[in-house]
Amino acid sequence: MEGLAGLGISLPTLIAQVVNFVIFFGLLYLFAYKPILKMLDERSKRVKESMEQTEHIKEQVAHAEEETKKRIEAASKEGHEIVAQAVRTGEEVRQRAQQEAKGEGEALIARARVEIQHERDDAIDELRKEFADLTILAAEKVISRSLDKEAHRQLIDKVLSESPTLKKG
Amino acid sequence: MPKRGCLGFSFPLLIVVLLAFLALFLLGFATGPLGKSILGNVGLPDWLSVSQPHPELPAEVVFHLFGFPITNSIVAAWITIVILVGFSFVVTRRLSIVPGRRQALLEFILGALLDFCQRIAGEKNGRRFFPIVATIFLLVAFNAWLSLLPGFGSILITNGEGESVHLLRAANTDINLPLALALMSFISVAYFGLRSLGFKYLGKFINVGQFLEGLRQLARGKLMAGLNAMFMGVINIFIGLVEALSEFVRIISFTLRLFGNMTAGEILLLMAVFLIPFLFALPFYGLELLVGFVQALIFSGLTLIFLTVAVTSHEHEETAQHQ
Repeated sequence: MEGLAGLGISLPTLIAQVVNFVIFFGLLYLFAYKPILKMLDERSKRVKESMEQTEHIKEQVAHAEEETKKRIEAASKEGHEIVAQAVRTGEEVRQRAQQEAKGEGEALIARARVEIQHERDDAIDELRKEFADLTILAAEKVISRSLDKEAHRQLIDKVLSESPTLKKG
Repeated sequence: MPKRGCLGFSFPLLIVVLLAFLALFLLGFATGPLGKSILGNVGLPDWLSVSQPHPELPAEVVFHLFGFPITNSIVAAWITIVILVGFSFVVTRRLSIVPGRRQALLEFILGALLDFCQRIAGEKNGRRFFPIVATIFLLVAFNAWLSLLPGFGSILITNGEGESVHLLRAANTDINLPLALALMSFISVAYFGLRSLGFKYLGKFINVGQFLEGLRQLARGKLMAGLNAMFMGVINIFIGLVEALSEFVRIISFTLRLFGNMTAGEILLLMAVFLIPFLFALPFYGLELLVGFVQALIFSGLTLIFLTVAVTSHEHEETAQHQ
């Protein structure tokens, strides 16, 4: 035991150091190891989670981008179609309007022509009648005798119908 | 424009600083025993020279607490414990997922130790062994580093018996602390071994299975086979005893390795300061910083390895034999 004491081994100090160590162990366990390990675990968990989330979001973004592209393409195609259709419809409308206008104009002209013809015929009739009466009257006066009125009229009509200017319709 | 100068000094300033260092070194040389024997006494004041150290292995008793002797090494160990526990307490009182500087420091230290444990002992066992390994590492390393501070081995007080003793002494250089650590290491190895292997762990040391098998064969009348098995059994028992002995030798080697290294370092520093009081000891301080770290790593690393072996050896050996 003399040698051990010379080396410095003493039971009280040894016990004290063992107790120190145990206390140190306990305190560190309570104040350092447990909370820090928990924190490290939680952090690594969070990092993992956020990495996964990032991956997920990236995927979603890519997906959304593709979707958007597709939709834009579809929309632009549709737009082109609509424009083309509108142009076509416009053209049709224009043509129809033109045709209608043309038809209407022609009908108007035709009606006007018919009316003019009627007027002319009426005027000629009137003129003829008056002219015949006048002629009869004159002839009566000239030959001073009353001819058979009916016979005369027929005669005059015949003459008139031969006349180029007073020819009917 | 290239920056002129060296080590952050401009050249003239650097020269001045170097001259000051040289003067300090020469002064130290002249006051130390080396210089005195060469130059003779050049009339420098006495208080500049350092008296010859008389390192003693037993730690001195500073005071008694309830009749229990408290040595200066215990005081030093207390200081280490208070500093480390206090720091941990302050840091872990408010933990956040985004660490501040102090939390990052503590997390870095413990994270590195945990990584060390898990790389050697595996994911799950590393975590189980981490507290004991980390505690040993921190205590040894910080004891060693703390003892490099001024005040260790230089503050003298008078204790109850009227002797003049040092107030502080590096805890690692008192053999009781290394011995206590070695005992804790031994106990933890036995604890984890028993816990994970049960009585099979003790079977490694008291290996009588084959001997009994030999006796049984002998009783059945198989003389040759019985004697053969008994012979192997005796060898196995002997191996078991050697294993048991090595467990205890381990305590001694653990103790003496740490104690020897740290005491040698302490004496080296004392002698360096004694020979040339100024500047000369600086490289040795750097060396001691490294030695403290290395010894802590060795102590905790070996404990970790023995723990790993105690937990896994049997299963591995058996599976290896079956294959």
